[in-house]
Amino acid sequence: MTLKTTMTLLLAGAAMTLSASAATAQTNLRVFVSSQHRPDVWRKAFDMYEAKNANVKVTIETGGNTSEQQAQYLNTVMTAKDPSLDIMILDVIRPAQYAAAGWTVPFNDVLGNDAASAMKRYLPAYAEANTVDGKVVALPAFADAMFLYYRKDLLEKHGIQPPQTWGELAAAAKKVTEAEKDPNLQGLSFQGKAIEGAVCTFLLPYWSMGKQLVSDGKLSFDKEAAVKSLKLWKDFVDQGVAKKNIAEVATDDTRKEFQAGNVLFAVNWSYAWGQFQGAESAVKDKVGVVKLPAVQGGQPASCLGGWEWGVSAYSNNKTEAQKFVQYLSSPEVSEFMAINAALLPQFPEVYTDADVTKAVPWFANARPVVETAKARPVTPRYNEVSEIIRTTVNGVLAGQSTPEEGATQMEGRLRRVLR
Amino acid sequence: MATVSETTLVAPQNESGTKWWTRFLDPSERTLAVLLLMPAALLLTLIIVYPVCRLIWTSFQNLSLTSGLPATFAGLENYSLMLDDPVFWETTRNTVLITLITVPGALFVGLALALMANLPFNVKWPVRLSLLIPWALPLSFAGLIFAWFFHSEYGVVNDVLRRLGIEGVIWFNSANWAFAAICLTIIWKTSSFMALIILAGLQTIPRSLYEAADVDGAGRLRQFFEITLPLLKPAIVVALIFRTITALQTFDIPFTMTRGGPGTSTATLAMYIHQNTVDFLDLGYGSALAVVMFALSMAVTAVYLRMIRAKG
Repeated sequence: MTLKTTMTLLLAGAAMTLSASAATAQTNLRVFVSSQHRPDVWRKAFDMYEAKNANVKVTIETGGNTSEQQAQYLNTVMTAKDPSLDIMILDVIRPAQYAAAGWTVPFNDVLGNDAASAMKRYLPAYAEANTVDGKVVALPAFADAMFLYYRKDLLEKHGIQPPQTWGELAAAAKKVTEAEKDPNLQGLSFQGKAIEGAVCTFLLPYWSMGKQLVSDGKLSFDKEAAVKSLKLWKDFVDQGVAKKNIAEVATDDTRKEFQAGNVLFAVNWSYAWGQFQGAESAVKDKVGVVKLPAVQGGQPASCLGGWEWGVSAYSNNKTEAQKFVQYLSSPEVSEFMAINAALLPQFPEVYTDADVTKAVPWFANARPVVETAKARPVTPRYNEVSEIIRTTVNGVLAGQSTPEEGATQMEGRLRRVLR
Repeated sequence: MATVSETTLVAPQNESGTKWWTRFLDPSERTLAVLLLMPAALLLTLIIVYPVCRLIWTSFQNLSLTSGLPATFAGLENYSLMLDDPVFWETTRNTVLITLITVPGALFVGLALALMANLPFNVKWPVRLSLLIPWALPLSFAGLIFAWFFHSEYGVVNDVLRRLGIEGVIWFNSANWAFAAICLTIIWKTSSFMALIILAGLQTIPRSLYEAADVDGAGRLRQFFEITLPLLKPAIVVALIFRTITALQTFDIPFTMTRGGPGTSTATLAMYIHQNTVDFLDLGYGSALAVVMFALSMAVTAVYLRMIRAKG
């Protein structure tokens, strides 16, 4: 090989590399995904986007296994103004907080002039949770709500219908546990540990009595309803319907104990369904799911869950990130995640999609529950509101304070935060 | 003339220049002392004085990172909020209680351990090692391990009780039992530190004193109270200072064992500061709480220092 040909080859090689890099100015997007929401399946949805957009490369970051732990991590990233994360998945209670703190970029520019009509495609609760003062601060990733899971086999055996009220539930639980004589069988399992789930525990009967915690940004605390709500749960413990150490029980404990066949009724989110039908489940094909009971004379109420995609205000690739989030929050991805990860869709029409109803038949019944689920109070100081409610619920269930004392403490502390 | 005036003009400058330099090239003892202390003083200013001043300044501000608003001067608002905050009083009370229970507790257990370790064993290292292990274990590990020990269903404590025919309690379901479990864990974790310092003190006591006491016919108990304890006093005071200050800052063990529950009945002041600053990002209020804790630690240190000076 002569010097001349070598040089030509080298030059040609260099030119090719240069032109290649110019054609595909690569964007690397780093996405935070909650570990409990099937990052493995999200990865497949990301791969489909990468296949169509060769210039985008997506990396997943995940960590923490509860909403609070994830919020703690994201808090530190955001307060450090760290640009390493471009997109993050946020629990439904957080987009308003993040927007108030200026941590996310609104989508109004990319959604066009009529952002409101773009949001109308979603279930109304999600359009509301992601819109703050007319700004679309995040786009829905998937929906969720709390349901009542029950042991179909045991209820059928004892000729009982799924309960409509909490009173009926207590009576049914007593009847079945007494007849079964199984010391390991709990009547009802719910979340009594001082975690985010305990906020919903408190709000379920409170809402069922037609009361609101916050109206128009002001505290509208109904003490009588709060006492009744705390008393309802405490009575379950005192009557032996729920186990004595319910104050130690977190969301996934409820799921594990029900899955092991030790629970008759359980209050839990939709993710539990997939696990109950899994290979290592002791209750496969023995589980029924319905809307949560109401208080006597009240309306049934469920707690709205679901997660949203937000784009970090400190990202260096905001435009690409917003484009990617629009894809993630589309009906196609929603359908893909419903079929492959059993995540509830944020679009009403996806619930009745033929492929979805074939893969997850119970989604058809889940839609009315999600549609009527209520959102936890929207306030920039939600973390404090949540902490006050969950520690009170935990304290009352542990017998640390009476329902009356608990409600008084709760009111006093909430007034300080929402003053 | 011109040259002369030039030299006279230049000369004083030169002289002052050399003076300035020579001070450092051949420093007096005083200058040398200042020079040698400078790096340490600068470092301390940077990592202690500045943060403390900044903390006190932030405690007078309304600064919440979740509000998206810039900091504003709030005067004593954070402090007045604190006065009618029931959780502040509860966490302070818990912190003081933990200090009052675990410091003497660790002292007694530590003293006993040190006396045992000081016995004439043939092989000393297993004893020393078992003394070191609790001390070398990170606090949060100890908390997590004991949280499992005290678990009502799967824990070893209730299992042992059950085998003895005693019905165990749901430790973390009751404020008093949870508090007791935390105190036991802290005593277990910290008594080895006490023991190590006291053991070092024990080994400085000359054997001859005990031999003389034997000759004089003093019994073991008498020897302990007349020789061992008085000579151990300096070591004990040092151990107590360290232990008390760390007890006032108790965080890791209750955080990993109960997260402050049930309710807020086992939360400490340090945990409440962490919650306000890290979870709620309310830096103003969190700083005011931290200032109170700082004052508390300083007060306790001052009392001990006075005790030492009075003894000296």
